Parts: sequence; C-alpha cells; structure tokens
Amino acid sequence: MAMEITQFLLAAQSADAKVRTEAEASLRQFQEQNMPVFLHSLSLELSNDEKPVESRRLAGIVLKNSLDAKDAIRKEQLVQQWMAIDVSIKSQIKDFLLKTLGSSVPEARHTSSQVIAKIASIEIPRKQWPELIGSLLNNMTQQDRPAFLKQATLETLGYVCEEISHEDLVQDEVNAVLTAVVQGMNLADHGPEVRLAATKALYNALEFAQTNFENEMERNYIMKVVCDTAMSEEVEIRQAAFECLVAIASAYYEVLEPYMQTLFQLTSNAVKGDEETVALQAIEFWSSICDEEIELQEFESPESGDSGPPHSCFIEKALSSLVPLLLETLLKQEEDQDQDDTIWNISMAGGTCLGLVSRTVGDAIVPLVMPFVESNIVKPDWRCREAATYAFGSILEGPTVDKLSPLVQAGLEFLLNAMKDGNNHVKDTTAWTLSRIFELLHSPATGFSVISPENLKRVLVVLLESIKDAPNVAEKVCGAIYYLVQGYEDAGPSSSLLTPYLTDIISCLIAASDRTDGGDSKLRSSAYETLNEVVRCSNISETSSIIAQLLPVIMNKLGQTMEIQIVSSDDREKQGDLQASLCGVLQVIIQKLSSTDETKPIILQAADQIMLLFLKVFGCRSSTVHEEAMLAIGALAYATGSQFEKYMPEFYKYLEMGLQNFEEYQVCGITVGVVGDICRALDDKILPYCDGIMGLLLKDLASSELHRSVKPPIFSCFGDIALAIGEHFEKYVPYALPMMQGAAEICAKIETADDEMMDYGNQLRRSIFEAYSGILQGFKSVKPDVMLPYAQHLLKFIELVSRDSQRDESVTKAAVAVMGDLADALGSNIKLMLKECAFCDEFLGECLQSDDEQLKETAGWTQGMIRRVMVL
Amino acid sequence: MADDSPASHRRDPIKSSVGNVAAQRRRQNAVTVGKERRESLVRAKRLCRVGATGDGDVPVEENDMITDEEVSLLDAQTSSAVGELKSAVAYQGKGAMQKRVNALRELRRLLSKSEFPPVEAALKAGAIPLLVQCLSFGSPDEQLLEAAWCLTNIAAGKPEETKALLPALPLLIAHLGEKSSLPVAEQCAWALGNVSGEGEELRNVLLSQGALPPLARMMLPNKGSTVRTAAWALSNLIKGPDPKAATELIKVDGVLDAILRHLRKADEELATEVAWVVVYLSALSNFATGVLVKSDVLQLLVERLATSNSLQLLIPVLRSLGNLVAGDSHTTSTVLVPGHEITDGVIKVLVKCLKSDHRVLKKEASWVLSNIAAGSIEHKQLIYSSEAVPLLLRLLSTAPFDIRREVAYVLGNLCVAPTAGEGKPNLIEEHLVSLVQRGCLSGFIDLVRSADIEAARLGLQFTELVLRGMPNGDGPKLVEQEDGIDAMERYQFHENEDLRNMANGLVDKYFGEDYGVDE
Repeated sequence: MAMEITQFLLAAQSADAKVRTEAEASLRQFQEQNMPVFLHSLSLELSNDEKPVESRRLAGIVLKNSLDAKDAIRKEQLVQQWMAIDVSIKSQIKDFLLKTLGSSVPEARHTSSQVIAKIASIEIPRKQWPELIGSLLNNMTQQDRPAFLKQATLETLGYVCEEISHEDLVQDEVNAVLTAVVQGMNLADHGPEVRLAATKALYNALEFAQTNFENEMERNYIMKVVCDTAMSEEVEIRQAAFECLVAIASAYYEVLEPYMQTLFQLTSNAVKGDEETVALQAIEFWSSICDEEIELQEFESPESGDSGPPHSCFIEKALSSLVPLLLETLLKQEEDQDQDDTIWNISMAGGTCLGLVSRTVGDAIVPLVMPFVESNIVKPDWRCREAATYAFGSILEGPTVDKLSPLVQAGLEFLLNAMKDGNNHVKDTTAWTLSRIFELLHSPATGFSVISPENLKRVLVVLLESIKDAPNVAEKVCGAIYYLVQGYEDAGPSSSLLTPYLTDIISCLIAASDRTDGGDSKLRSSAYETLNEVVRCSNISETSSIIAQLLPVIMNKLGQTMEIQIVSSDDREKQGDLQASLCGVLQVIIQKLSSTDETKPIILQAADQIMLLFLKVFGCRSSTVHEEAMLAIGALAYATGSQFEKYMPEFYKYLEMGLQNFEEYQVCGITVGVVGDICRALDDKILPYCDGIMGLLLKDLASSELHRSVKPPIFSCFGDIALAIGEHFEKYVPYALPMMQGAAEICAKIETADDEMMDYGNQLRRSIFEAYSGILQGFKSVKPDVMLPYAQHLLKFIELVSRDSQRDESVTKAAVAVMGDLADALGSNIKLMLKECAFCDEFLGECLQSDDEQLKETAGWTQGMIRRVMVL
Repeated sequence: MADDSPASHRRDPIKSSVGNVAAQRRRQNAVTVGKERRESLVRAKRLCRVGATGDGDVPVEENDMITDEEVSLLDAQTSSAVGELKSAVAYQGKGAMQKRVNALRELRRLLSKSEFPPVEAALKAGAIPLLVQCLSFGSPDEQLLEAAWCLTNIAAGKPEETKALLPALPLLIAHLGEKSSLPVAEQCAWALGNVSGEGEELRNVLLSQGALPPLARMMLPNKGSTVRTAAWALSNLIKGPDPKAATELIKVDGVLDAILRHLRKADEELATEVAWVVVYLSALSNFATGVLVKSDVLQLLVERLATSNSLQLLIPVLRSLGNLVAGDSHTTSTVLVPGHEITDGVIKVLVKCLKSDHRVLKKEASWVLSNIAAGSIEHKQLIYSSEAVPLLLRLLSTAPFDIRREVAYVLGNLCVAPTAGEGKPNLIEEHLVSLVQRGCLSGFIDLVRSADIEAARLGLQFTELVLRGMPNGDGPKLVEQEDGIDAMERYQFHENEDLRNMANGLVDKYFGEDYGVDE
C-alpha cells in the first residue's frame, strides 16, 4: 500500500527552487489525498537502509511535523488526525520506527528516536502503546545487541521521558527505565557512545525519578553514578554529567545535603582545572543552587506560619570557600571579551554567579569580597583591576543599603577617576559598575541616593566625557546615564536637579548615536534607548520646550534615513535598525508630550508630518522597522484621537501587512495591539475598516503557522473592536464566537505541568474573557439577544475556570467581570441559566474576600448585576 | 525537542548592555499602556453606568441596610482615607502619582459602599480642597477620574453636602472640554449632573460658570455612554424654572442635529436620556419648542414609541410628544394634520400606550390625546373613529383617578367643536350621543363628586353638554339615572363659587320645578 516517494523527498531538497516547489506540492498532495498511506510511506522510507540518507532524513522530519506543532490548536489537530488512523497502519508505522533504531545509519536512528517520542507523547498518556517501554528495554537487556542500537535506544528513552509525564507510566516502568539508563552509564559495561547517550537520557529522565529520589538507597546510587560519570575520561560525558547535576540542583534541592561535600569538591575541581565547557556547568551548579535559595527566601514570608520546603543554606555554609573560588574565575578574562555582548566564559559566569551569591546571602558577602577588591584595584595588571571592579559591581545587589553606601560613597570618586584608566576593559567594567550603582543605590524618589545634588555635576561631567571613549565603553556609559536619569522619575522636586544638564545630555547621546566607529549598532541603540529614558523621566513642566525641540531633530533624522543609498541587504538592514531606533524615540516623545494638555498641541501640530514619515518607513519594508513604527503609531493614535481617521486610508494597507506577517510574529502581535489603540481612538469611525481587519484576525487565529503568543491578543482585540463598533459587531459573531468557544475548549486541555504552557493558558483565558466582555458591553441595550445562544457555553467556561485553583489573578478578574457583563447585557434572559449556576455564589464569595481592591470592586459590581437580574 | 546540541544551560550575564533590556522594557511598556487603556475603558463602561441609571432600578437589598456600628466604622474609615489622601497629595517622591490614585480610589470606594455614603464624614475631614487639588490641570487621567468620581458621590448627598462642591465646580466644568479624555469628561459631567439636580440655586451657579456649552458639545459625538451622561446632566441643568437655559441649549450649534441623530440611531438607554432633554426643552422654552416642532423630532418620537417597549424610554418620549403638541399650535395645525401619515402614526402609538400595563403611559397618552382632541373638527373625528375610544371608555370606568381625569378631557374635547369666541361651546352631537350611549356618563358624574376642582369642573361641563345636547331632551333623564342630581346638589354650599354657581345653575335649569311634569 505504500507509495514510492523517494524521488519527491529528494527533489524537495533540490537547490533548484522550481524543482523544490513542485516536489513540495506533490508531497502535500499525497498528504491531503491519503494521510495514513502517506505517513506509512514515510515511515517505510525512514526504515529502509537501501534508501538515500537524504530522503530518509526528510521523511523523518515530515513524519515528525505531522505529529507535533508548536501551536496548541494545530497540535491538537495533528493529534486527532493521528488517532483517527487505522490501528493496523499505526502499528506498522511504529514497527518500522522501532526497527530503524537498529539501522546502521546514525541519522536514521536519531530521527527515528525523535519520531517515536512524538508518537509516545500522544499514545502513552492514552495507554495506546503499552509495549513501547518494554520493547525499548528489551534492546538494552539483550546482551548481543549492537552498541549503536543501545545508544539509539537510550536516546529514544530520553526523548520519550522529555515528552511524557512520569504519571503516564506505572512505577515499575519508571524504575525499569531509570535502571536501564543508569546502567547504561556504567563504565565497566559500555563504551563512550552508549555512556554519553545514557547520561543525556538521564538528564531527560530526572523528572521521572521523583519516587526514586525519595528513597535514600536509590538516591545514593543515582548520585554516585552521576558523580562518577562527572569524572569520566571523556570531556563530553563529564559535561553531560555536570548538566545532570545542574538539573538535580533545581529539581532535588531539598535532598542534596548529604552530597554537598562531594559536590563542592567536584565542582571546585572542575572550576579550577577542567575544560571550559565543564567548568561553566560547574559554576552553573552553584548559580542554580542560588536560584533555589533566592526563590525560597522570596516565598518565605514571616507572617505565614506554614513552613515551605526547607532552606538548607548551602550557599551560606559554602560561602567562605565558594567566594574565593568565584573570585579566582574573574581573573580569567579573555583579551577582547568586552567587544561582544554574547560572550559567555568563565569570568562572565563567575561574576554572574557571584552576583547571585550576593543576592542570596546579602551583607555576609561584603567582607569576603572587599579585600579582593582593595588589593587588586590598584595593581598594575589590568586583569586585576578589571576583576576587582567587576567583583565590586557584582555584589551591589543583595547587601543592605547601610552596608553598601559607605563603601560606594568612599569608592565613587575612585571609580569616576578610573574612567580614565589606560585599559579599555577596566573602563568598560567601571562604567558598568557605575550603572549598577545608579540602578541600585540611587533613588531620590524614595529619599535615598549616593548621588548628592553637589556631586551630580561631577558625575555628569565624567559620564559626558567618557561617552566619547571607545564604543564599548561609551555603550556602558549610556547604561550609567540610563539608570541615573531613571532614578529621577517621579522624584518630585529632585527631578529638577537634572533639568539644567538635560540639553547637554541629549546632545551627547545624539552625538554618540551618530558615531560610526562602533562595529555594530549596539552603541547606537543603547544611546537612543538612553535618550528615550531621559525623555520619559524628565520633569515635563520644566523640559517640555527641550523635548519639543528634540522632536523635529529626530523627525529630521528619520527623514534622512530614506535617502540612505541601499546597495546591499546589509545597507537595508542598517537603515532598518536606524529607523527602528528613531521610531522608538518618536514613540516616547509622542507619549510624553501627549500626556499633558499643555504639550499635546505640539504633537497634534506635527501629527501629519510624523505620520507621513511613518508611512515612508513602512515603504522601506523591513520588519523591525515595521514593528517600531507600528508601536509609535499606536502612541500617535492615542494622541490624535478621532483625528486619526484621516490617516486610515493610507495606513490601512500596512495594518493589513502587519496582520498578515506570520513569520515575524512579534510584528503581527504588535499590529494587533495597534488595532486596539486605533479602535479606542476612532471609536465607530473604524467601522469601514472592520470587515478587512476582522477577516485577517480570523485568518490569523485559524493559522497553524502563526506563533501562538499572538492569539490571546487577537481575542482581546475582538473585544476592542466590539466596544468601538457596538451592534455592528453582529455580523462577525457567527465567525468570532465559534473561535472563542474553540479556544475555550483548548484551555481546558492545556497541560498544567508546564509553566510556560500554563502561562499561555492564563493569557488565553483572560483574552477570551476580554473578548466576551467587549462584545457584551458593545451589544448591551442594543442587541443583547445576539449573544443569548452563547451564554450557556460562556457560563460553562467561567465555571471551569473558577474551579481551577491554579488560575492567575488577572484571569479571575476577567472571569468575574465577564459574568457581570453577561448579567448586565442579557438581563432577565439568563435568569434561569444563572439560577442553575451553583458555582457563581461560591466564586463571587471567593473574589469578594480577596485582598485585591480592584477584584473586590469588580466582584461587587458583578454581584449587583446578578441580583438585579434575579429580581427582574 | 532537544536538538543535537546538548541542552547546555545558558543564563544572561550579569554584565549586559542596556540597549536590549531597555528596548524590551519600552516596547513592553507600550503594550501595557494599551492594556491599561482597554481596562479603564471597560471599567468606565461598567461602573459608571450603575449610578447613571441606578437611582431607581437597582433594588436595595435587605442586607444593604447597615447598622449604626457600621456607619461609625465607615465614618472612621472615611476620615482616615481623607487623611491618606492628604498625605498622598503632599507627597512628591517616587510613585507619588500611584499613591494619590490609590488614596483617591480608596475614598471613592468608601463613598460608593453603601446606600448611605459617608459624605458628611468625608466633608468634615476636609475632602473637598484635596479633591479640588487632585483635579488640577495636567493631572493624569486616572487621578482625575477618581477625584471626579468621589465628587460625584458627594454631590449625590444631602442638599447642603452638594453645596460643598461649590469650589470644585470650575474645575469640573473645565475638564468637560475636548482636551480631556472621555472617561474623565464623562465622570465630571456626571458630578455636575448631580449638582444641578440639587436645585435652582446651584443650577444658576453652574449656568453662570458656563457649564452648559461644554456639556452640550459632549452630546454631539456618537460615543454612547458619554452622550448619555451629558444628556442626563443637561436635562438636570435646564430644569428651570427659568426657561433661559433651555433656550440657550437649543441654540448651541449642532445640538438639534445631535438630538435628532441620537433619537434616530442611539440605543434605548441613550435615547432615554436624550428624550428627557427634549422633555425639558419643550416644557420650558417656547423658543425651543418652536425649533423642535419644525424638525423631524415628532416623527422620531413616534417611531420610538412604536418600536420600543422600554418604560424608561417611553415615558419621556411620550411626554415630549405631549409637550410639543400642547406647547405649539404649529404641531397640530401643520404637522399632525389628519390625513398625514404621521398623524395616523401618532394615534397608533398612543393607542399602544393606552393598552399598556403602565399607569404612567396610559395617563401621559391620554394627556397627549386630549391635546390633539382640542384641535380641529377633523382631529376630533380622527380620534373618534380610532381604536382609542373604546379603550378610553374602559379607562374612564376602571382606571385610577388621575388617568380618568385625563381620559375625561379627551372624551369631553371630542364632543365639543372649536369655538371662535366666548360662550358655551358648540356640540358635536354625533360624538356626544354615541359616547353617552356607550356609557361614559357615569364616569363623568363620578368626577363631579371628586374633590379635585378641575376634575369636578370637567364633570360638570360634560354633564351640561349631556343635559343640553342629548336629542329629544333625554339629557336630564340620563343624568338622573346616574345619580347626577345628587352629585350636583353637593355643590349647593361649596366654597368654590364658580363650581357652586355652575352646579346650582344646572340643577335649577334642568331639574327645577318643571322637572318630571311630563311623566
């Protein structure tokens, strides 16, 4: 029954676009004609050692993509599609896959193991592939099986563990899997390939080992094997073992006590002498311990008596050895590390870990670090001076202000002088340290700052001088200015302190942004973002004229970008980056000036020209620009209100383009948000554009290509549109409501074990409620009956959400509000339905008890609405 | 799925460049701003409405009754909330804005908490000057909104409490302007509506401070809730008794158009408030009435009456219609001409109202009909031959007194022809005979017995018609059968001379010595 697809799979990878497109079309056609046969053929292709590697690899990838997708809605479709296939065909496909694990071709084995895991993720929770674990384990226990089969089997086990939840297996199976994996790590029995695969598999299986980690004997055994493996001869295996230790530090923090001695030795040796990849993992182990303890401390509230998981104070206990170990790493800088932001090396990781340790233990770190700082900061070797400064900068968060401020007061002048150090790295780190000082110890709004009105001038003179230094230093100086001005936000009279310097600061930042000596756009974007912060935090009543003068300067610069000669794609990218930064500045200026009645006219007068510029930017077509110009347009729409109508005819096509941008989903998401801004600005004047917009939004929702993060904003946007156009939303109801209902059903199925998914689930639920709220409020007292057929489903959804104890506060708020909207809009029509909702009272009761004033208020309102319905 | 590279853990370095973080934060901030605006928009829609229509239709729950202890607790909380606000207003540091908004919100919450808001406590603690300060120009919207909201609730208090708002009025009026955000303007309008509802004195203050033009302009756009609130406030503001404000309002550019547009298109809630504006315009100002009747307003009112079933809406619409009919002869002489489609429409909707279960509608509809029935012969014939008459007859015998009186006017008017000069009105015998035959006389005799002078006069007048006008001299007999003599004799020594003379005259004339001789 299988069809011959090799040639298509090969052609689909052809360099010739025409051949490729045709082949892809044929494959798609096969898929649409007969999915089961197509999947069967793919698995056969993958398992057949006589086929070319290339076609087998693509067969595996297509197979995998037929089983899983990033988007939850699409994924659900694929799962349903797979489950609908005839059992006998599925069983043949699975047999082919398992057989492929024994193939001599490594790529085929690897792909097959991934596909098996995808099928397992569908079938194991449904108990439809009970024999999988047994047959995999069989590969491990049979003595005569080749090593590469065992290696592929372990890899498969690891992937399967990653895909499924340990609750899907019975404990015996979990035990057997762990035993197989841990035995695979055994030095005596296996070669390096198998041991590496086993160690990686263990990494994925660690979450399965909860029961085993509760049992001391088993725990001891697993820990011993992992620690032994961490001393393997092969560096790759050592690294994998340390990765396991990092994962164990997070997952099993509370049982680590007995092993800490050993683990300290192990990690300490690795940090001091092992290869960098291993040493980095060893440092990461301690960073992870810090993460755990910081989290415990954050949750530790003195008033709540119940003791959460125990805090073992590992960092505090190891402090006197750990800090010197980390300080040593700071001296291992690379020669040109400051040029690259993405650098990750021993000294970076060490400093980062030191920062975490500081946040964990607070004051206790200061006496351990200061001698290192004091002795190294004056040494002739730049590495010593840089490390000392870096150490000082790293510990500024954690210790108390009382502890730090004398040190910072005493050291500030030194640091300001060090901005003239002979070494670039030292200046770089010094500027960074200054930015940390301003970020953490400079808050005039709350009444404390290490910067006095007297030394502010000196600080600014140094900063504005150093911003002319090498690009990397200048970039860090921008950071320092950024946090310095941020301190004056909302600072009342002290914010005036900055006003006299504002013109100088702005011109230095613009000069920095104009520099061409930086290798990349990093300095420019930092300079502009800092400029944004300067504008945002300035005291508007004193600085409006300065900002008003800045507006034409930035507009002019944006206008000039249109004249950049575009020869290469590189030029285009540069133009795009620059436009992005300038649109960002305009966004902030628009926001600032439109925030007061006195300054808003400045924006309104320039609105036509600003809009013209944005339209030109769109004309240059680069996605990042698109995004920033969109955001800025959102701000402009808010400023102009219904006047924005006149721009719509021109702007609309870009709005369409943005909503269709599936690939750059951030652009799409931001455009969706701007649609909301425009709805609020135009109100029912948006009506003529709604057919088009709604059409695209519905298409976006239905698309499996579009990143899922855009979908919640789309639902919220339905609400925005409905609020703006009221009863005219009626014609979209037959399309929008089924989408909302469908999404509500997906919410019910979202896995709660996965934090990220849960977060997404919360966003989705909240946005669905927002859509309902907008629509109900829009129809209220005009055509509420339109919503009557959907009331029951909505109530069920609210009930489901109200029963979920994990729900986010914002979801609760939206749910209780929509309940009120329902009663408000539909009135006595839903009296009976509400009467049958036993959960309402309970849910309202819970909300009325809340500490959140806004929630209480909304719940009170909803209660009133429901009572009104009940007495009508 | 794990790719070929190991899942090597990679965290962000502590030493990072500011550009990326800052850009991220800025973009996030832009997105958050949108979310906040959405929230405040929906919130305004939800919460502001409760009070706008909430005077009557939110039932007072039993458990809303609060005890003395609760009152004193609420008072104490209110005083301390005002104290909080005082320190928040004085505070200038980081998050000052948020602090002020929080304090305002708390105060507003307390002021909205019960049926008896702790207004007195708030005033005593010195809330007004603080709230005025919070209304200063350039303040963020949220602050303005909360402050105006507090003032709204205070203005809803007792008369002397409402007067405490005097220092706040100029700023509340100022924030009505086009530069304000809609929720702020709306909330201020609401507060001013409460103030003008208080009485003539405060209305005059508001008018002299120029509250009318900006409120009027708020009626122009199509923003549902804003227009609704503005209309409500305006209807309070022009309540008179001086007609000047009503005249001024109709003269504001675009107001007439807006009224017509909203009556034509708006949802019922909004139409209701707009109809109330029309009620006061037409009740107070002859000028306004003159302008209105020359517009499409009658047609629109009729359409609303025909299509709506909302009592809240029907009442002001019906009353407006009545005012326009009663207030300007142009209405009946030129617009509601028998034979015009609109005239049939009017009769039809009035019939609908007469059929309704609501006493007010029946009464108002009868009143409108009585004004139409006072028109030309053709008008009378039109009503006479309509479905209204049987309904009116039934009402005359069964309805409560106030409706009966209005009904009697209609029926009475149907029986007399328009008169040019003084003297007894000419009869329309056909109508009179038919109505009497259908049993209306007992209803009128009932009115004769009424203590209400006007009703009694009406009863006597109709009795006179019957006595004089029934053919074959059947009148006296009919009156006697309905115990009319007894009813009239009660006036023998009545203090109202006019009625006394009228009744005695009738008795003397028709039931004098000669009466009964024929038999």
